[in-house]
Amino acid sequence: MTFRRGNIEGQIQHIPKEVKWCKKCVVSNQRPRIIFDKDGVCSGCKNTEYKNNKIDWEKRERELVDLLDKHRSNDGLWDVIVPSSGGKDSGFVAHQLRYKYGMNPLTVTWSPLQYTDIGFQNFESCINAGFTNLLCTPNGKLQRKLARLSFEELGDAFHVFVLGQISYPFQMALKLGIKLVFYGENGEAEYAGDPEYADKPYKPSSEWVKQHFKGLTFRELLAYGLKNKEYLSEDDYSESDLMFYEPPTAEQLDKAGIAGKYFYSYYHKWSPQENYYYCIEHTGFKPNSERSEGTYSKYSSLDDKMDGFHYYMRYIKFGLGRCLEEAAHEVRDGHITREEGVALMRKYEGEFPEKYFKDFLDYLDISEDHFWEVVNNWRTPHLWKKINSEWLLKFPIK
Amino acid sequence: MKKPYKIAIIDYQMSNIFSITNALDALGFESKVTSDRSEILSCDGAILPGVGSFPEAMKHIKNFNLDDSIKDFINTGKPFMGICLGLQLLFDGSEEIENSCGLGVISGNVKRISAKNKNMRVPHVGWNHASKNKLLYNEKNIGPLCSLNDKDYFYFVHSYCVEPDNDTDIYTTTEYGGNEFCSSILKENIFACQFHPEKSGENGLRILNEMFN
Amino acid sequence: MSVALRIIPRLDIKGPNLVKGVHLEGLRVLGKPESFAKFYYEQGADELFYQDVVASLYGRNSLQDIVSKTAKEVFIPLTVGGGIRSLNDISSILYAGADKVAINTSAIEDPGLIKSASIMFGSSTIVASIEAIRQPNGSYLSFTDNGRNSSNKEVVSWAKELEQLGAGEIILTCVDQEGSGSGFNYDLIKQVTDSVSIPVVAHGGAGSAQNILDLASQTQVSGIAIASLFHYDYIRHNRYIDDFNKEGNTDFLKSDRIPSNIESATIAHLKSFLLENNIHVREL
Repeated sequence: MTFRRGNIEGQIQHIPKEVKWCKKCVVSNQRPRIIFDKDGVCSGCKNTEYKNNKIDWEKRERELVDLLDKHRSNDGLWDVIVPSSGGKDSGFVAHQLRYKYGMNPLTVTWSPLQYTDIGFQNFESCINAGFTNLLCTPNGKLQRKLARLSFEELGDAFHVFVLGQISYPFQMALKLGIKLVFYGENGEAEYAGDPEYADKPYKPSSEWVKQHFKGLTFRELLAYGLKNKEYLSEDDYSESDLMFYEPPTAEQLDKAGIAGKYFYSYYHKWSPQENYYYCIEHTGFKPNSERSEGTYSKYSSLDDKMDGFHYYMRYIKFGLGRCLEEAAHEVRDGHITREEGVALMRKYEGEFPEKYFKDFLDYLDISEDHFWEVVNNWRTPHLWKKINSEWLLKFPIK
Repeated sequence: MKKPYKIAIIDYQMSNIFSITNALDALGFESKVTSDRSEILSCDGAILPGVGSFPEAMKHIKNFNLDDSIKDFINTGKPFMGICLGLQLLFDGSEEIENSCGLGVISGNVKRISAKNKNMRVPHVGWNHASKNKLLYNEKNIGPLCSLNDKDYFYFVHSYCVEPDNDTDIYTTTEYGGNEFCSSILKENIFACQFHPEKSGENGLRILNEMFN
Repeated sequence: MSVALRIIPRLDIKGPNLVKGVHLEGLRVLGKPESFAKFYYEQGADELFYQDVVASLYGRNSLQDIVSKTAKEVFIPLTVGGGIRSLNDISSILYAGADKVAINTSAIEDPGLIKSASIMFGSSTIVASIEAIRQPNGSYLSFTDNGRNSSNKEVVSWAKELEQLGAGEIILTCVDQEGSGSGFNYDLIKQVTDSVSIPVVAHGGAGSAQNILDLASQTQVSGIAIASLFHYDYIRHNRYIDDFNKEGNTDFLKSDRIPSNIESATIAHLKSFLLENNIHVREL
């Protein structure tokens, strides 16, 4: 029986059929919601320019201090939630809030699908740096089936993880009465069309929750799975298992005084590489002993064995792999030149994440043949060509 | 202001010419990197540098027809300096890799440093002393190391060392791993050292200065 | 031992800048290599080691200029590594002013290069560089591309093989300690120095003068390559940002932060301390 995917995925249909590469960094126009100007420069580059030149960071810090002064508890109880993986970015935010600004952060972690050794080690180191942590691991039986469902029907097994990652911190904020939720970098704003619009200290609850429910919702995904997949049935879960896959409503959040997602990158010039150095110094963070497959770095996104497949599928769907993601950021930050970024991409972009392939197949309970069937369903036709039984990108980086 | 004194740096494509040029430059000497016989002979001084293996060096020297040029320059009596492999090449022969003949200007052979114990590493790499041959140079301020003493350091990097037949050729010796070996020779207008003056900091520069002044 | 223990500042270079990572990761700019080099020379460094940390990664090598600039002002030996792939590369960099070359990635890909290079240029010119990373089972494997890609070469046996191939020296980087200031991996260093009879230079982990004294007293290393300890000391008084805006991670340099986990020491201070404790080093 050959696998054919359904049509619930909503992004691929909108990407331009002609591939263009940014003149300044190494991203392409295939990235959903990115905008290229008439000179061929992407909105990510424009936003970084704005970030580097138009912002008074001292003023921003004063704004941060004002904000934190309003929220700091005077009885030592938690006053801010930091969604954290134990990685360098969330580690940086948590540590700064506590030790520089005297806040009382509670770190909350939505478990990766499958912890790597280094990921768990760093997770523990962060806790040992002085933070109480809530780790939530969803019903594994359900999660694995949802991961398979997402892989087949959205082209990304990781999607189900992301749902929980967004929702869990706010569910906990609501339950524990903590009004402030602080993220690291505003990733989406990096690519938004208008930097001034994107450059805001927080994304209001009303906005992000409503946006979240506009696209394919968790309930819709689940319903689709129950209807169309033999492997998923209502016997696999109970209502309580679903709690953390959805955020509270905008009304609930507003009523509780939870303004929205705050971004540390609004208040502090964000540099993932400097976060690495900071965490080495302060939280016992360790990089991986070898580079991550598909890219050149040893310190980004180390905690999930399944991570490589998220990036790999992005590469299949949009031609945007892991190396591109990191290199583009570093080129924009001026850490490496575009030429160097291109050299790195030619070397590592699209590298198959072999190391945890078997773990991935086991986790999703699928065969290797089915894996490739699904992958090929997601190969966006205008991006790929087959030459001598090898799949190649029609428009590689230049 | 450059001193009107030209030193030929004999080029047989096997050494760190640049460092020597830089050192001479810093001292205000004019230098010329060359393998041309007439150019070499027209200079006021000459340096035979060398990094690499003895047999390979001799092949290159023969290829560039430099063996005669070198000997002829030495015979003019003008100052001639050999450095590292450039010291070894002056000898009769070496056992490095395969037995090969040298220029035969100084009597003696080149042998591998013998490692007496595990602590003694070969090659001999690093800063070590060069003590003057007490029999000949005790209290006499002669030669390019005249302003330097037994406590000064010079940079060595070699696996082979020279064994002159005549003690009178030995200018300095160096102790390594319980053995004394000849670290430089001085014979008439020839000074040649196992260590690298161009890499021995201020002490090395002083040697170059003394040599060609 | 009559030959002095060598204190060798190691300068990691990316493009025009001196950079400093931790565990060979991160390319934080600390300044211009030439100024560090000059300072270290004047302070009594015994050698300098330049490593182009991105050469293998980007498939280039580009240290000729900085090597030539350095050789003009600094009259101590210069070892240069990073992206050395062929006999031609070796001869170009030697001609530019280097005295020794350090080879890692290419040696693992083609061990024959070490053999032919040592025959052509002499063993003492060829330094074999090993980047050692501890594996979950306790063994150490050699890595390439600036500690990024693992090979199947176990460190001690690879060191022995490199000696057989004709390398004149080994520089051993303990990546797990590198840049952390946490002290040296005495165990591994000892295993390597015990297994070869060529000089071994240890690199990775120097956090204090005491660490270095301990290493010198407990092992047979011929030299110690030191980076963070010296560089972070230098920039306490020499933090120049004018030319750097063009390339590199200069966020740290533009701030006034000093890392709390790295002590700082000058070469002069370190050498006095070692001499006081009967370790033979070269006094200026």
